[in-house]
Amino acid sequence: MAPLSVISLSLCFLLPLLSPAISTNSEGNALHALRWRLSDPTNVLQSWDPTLVNPCTWFHVTCDSNNHVIRLDLGNSNISGTLGPELAQLQHLQELYKNDISGEIPKELGNLKNLVGLDLYGNRFEGEIPKSFSGLKSLRFLRLNNNNLTGSIPRELTALSNLKVFDVSNNDLCGTIPVDGPFGMFSMPSYANNMRLNGPELKGLVPYNFGC
Amino acid sequence: MLKSLYKLALSDNNLVSSLPPSIGNLSNLSVLFLYNNKISGSIPKEIGMLGSLEGINLSNNSLSGEIPASIGNLTKVNSLYLSANNFHGSIPQEIAKMRSLIDLELANANLSGLIPASIGNLKNLSYLYLHLNALSGFIPSSIGNLTNLIDLFLHCNKLQGLIPWELGKLQSLHQLILFNNSLSGFIPEEMNNLTSLVAFEVSENYLIGHLPQQVCLGGVLESFTAHDNYFTGPIPKSLKNCTSLHRVRLDHNQLIGNVSEDFGIYPNLNYLDLSGNKLIGELSSKWGQCHNLTSLRISNNNLSGELPSELGKATQLRVCDLTLNHLTGGIPKALGELKLLFNLMLNDNHLSGSIPPEMGMLSSLVHLNLAANNLNGSIPIWLRQCENLLELNLSVNRLSGGIPSEVRSLSFLQILDLSQNFLIGKIPKAVGNLKTLEKLDLSHNKLFGFIPSTFDDMLSLTSVDVSDNQLEGPLPDNKAFREASFEAFRNNKGLCGNITGLEVCSSKLSSNVDRKKNSKIVIATVVPILFTLLLVFVVFWILSSSKRRERNTENTPR
Repeated sequence: MAPLSVISLSLCFLLPLLSPAISTNSEGNALHALRWRLSDPTNVLQSWDPTLVNPCTWFHVTCDSNNHVIRLDLGNSNISGTLGPELAQLQHLQELYKNDISGEIPKELGNLKNLVGLDLYGNRFEGEIPKSFSGLKSLRFLRLNNNNLTGSIPRELTALSNLKVFDVSNNDLCGTIPVDGPFGMFSMPSYANNMRLNGPELKGLVPYNFGC
Repeated sequence: MLKSLYKLALSDNNLVSSLPPSIGNLSNLSVLFLYNNKISGSIPKEIGMLGSLEGINLSNNSLSGEIPASIGNLTKVNSLYLSANNFHGSIPQEIAKMRSLIDLELANANLSGLIPASIGNLKNLSYLYLHLNALSGFIPSSIGNLTNLIDLFLHCNKLQGLIPWELGKLQSLHQLILFNNSLSGFIPEEMNNLTSLVAFEVSENYLIGHLPQQVCLGGVLESFTAHDNYFTGPIPKSLKNCTSLHRVRLDHNQLIGNVSEDFGIYPNLNYLDLSGNKLIGELSSKWGQCHNLTSLRISNNNLSGELPSELGKATQLRVCDLTLNHLTGGIPKALGELKLLFNLMLNDNHLSGSIPPEMGMLSSLVHLNLAANNLNGSIPIWLRQCENLLELNLSVNRLSGGIPSEVRSLSFLQILDLSQNFLIGKIPKAVGNLKTLEKLDLSHNKLFGFIPSTFDDMLSLTSVDVSDNQLEGPLPDNKAFREASFEAFRNNKGLCGNITGLEVCSSKLSSNVDRKKNSKIVIATVVPILFTLLLVFVVFWILSSSKRRERNTENTPR
């Protein structure tokens, strides 16, 4: 990380002298902050130039016609590091698809009410699935499989009425599986390989977090 | 009172609250650096009393209110930085009295109103940054008097009217940045006189007429962007030998010109977008010598001819978008050399021949769209090596052969569109292994047989279309199939299921799995019945043999 801090320090020093250093585009700034959080050995983020007025010509970023970021495609990019709360700035973000990231899933992601798909599968995320994900009102796809997630599936997720695809297989989740709302239609493969997950909730008969 | 103080530098702190009016007492203050804090309130008018000031930097604070007119009294100030604040109102015209100003930066400061015409009096001005504000009205022609001007940044404002011809007098001008305004009319001819231009950016305005032909007169032009305007006419002549070019965006205009003749070799070119114009001509092999080119976008033009195999030498290419042209010929094998290419869009052309197996070498490929061409032959099994594919669209071609079961290697695939081809054979079970597939379109082919039961496990599928094939048998037990309408299944041989318009499945049309299920049911019912019957016979036999014994004993003589 040392060379990175030298680069960012020298950028600050040159700030008054260089042409538009950091743009006011909050989405660009959020992505820029994400870039410095992540380790990017294959330079996938090389095109992420913060001097551009918006991130819409950055590779792996897709914008709509109003220059708002709607998609981030960073799957299978040898990226490691952690995600940060600044991602909640990407108000119109529709898809986040990553690999090799560790740490916890930031609860601030629950603010993304326009998010349509969230692919965090195949990483090394740990900690719990944030309860705040109940705020992802537009969410249709949620794939968190193949990580090291623990804790129970938040019951609050039953509020996600648009959810069509849900995959938390291959984690270390515990407790029981919700049956209300969209969870009525997800089948067993969505939950496979969670040794401590105990099957559908038995309301009243057994605590929801049974086995946690 | 700190009357001897000549430098006050408290930047990069957490200072809040406002600048006190008593700041005016620092009569010997030469340098005032308070940038990167959270100072609020307005700049006190007493700042005009600081007659010794040479440098002011209050950038990146929360200053509000109006910039005081008294700032004009600071005739020794050579650099005034007030960017990244939240002021109110306009730039005071008194700013023109600051005759020592070399560097004036008021960017991203919530300023509105006009750019004062008096600004043309600042003869020493080299850097004028007024971008990212809400400035309106015209660009004052007096700016043309600022003969020492190096950078003019007016982008992202609400400026209107014409670009003044007087700007053509700015012989020292390196960067002319006017994008994202409401400027209209022609670019003045005088712009062809600027020999020091490094950046010329006029995108996102309402400009018409021609681009300045001599824009690269000085041979140092690096950034040339004019996208999203109404420009007509040719590609500037001076671009052909403009080897300094780094970034060129001329997309979304009505430019004419011949891409093979109007462009040359650009060793430093990183990003090129000429999409959405009326360009003709062929893609020259010279593009292969652009060794730093990461983005080549010339979609939606009238390009013709073949894809040059030399394009495979532009090994830094990440994005190649040539959709909606009239390209002919085959896809060169050499394109397989583009190891970093993640986005290849060649759809809506007249490409022919087969998809070369070398496409499998594109290990970074995420989006591959070859739709709406005349491609024939089969889908190469080598595409299985493109393991990062999210989207594979080969629709509307003449592809034959079967769907290779090697698709199972595309474990992240989200969209698979093979519709409107001549694909035959059964749908391989492997398609059902695509756990992340959201959209599947196999319609308008010649696929036959049953839809594999592996489709039951396609967790992510939300959109499916298998219409216009020769498929039969029951629909898989999959949410996307259950929620689809009849249109997704019609014109097949004998698909059945619980969709209005489709036949209900009869037992004859059971799939192999159902037959196994049925036979299990049969065994489960028949065996107990046989067992019961056997039991009944045994009981009957015991009873009847005991009766026979009784009869025998009755018949024996005494």
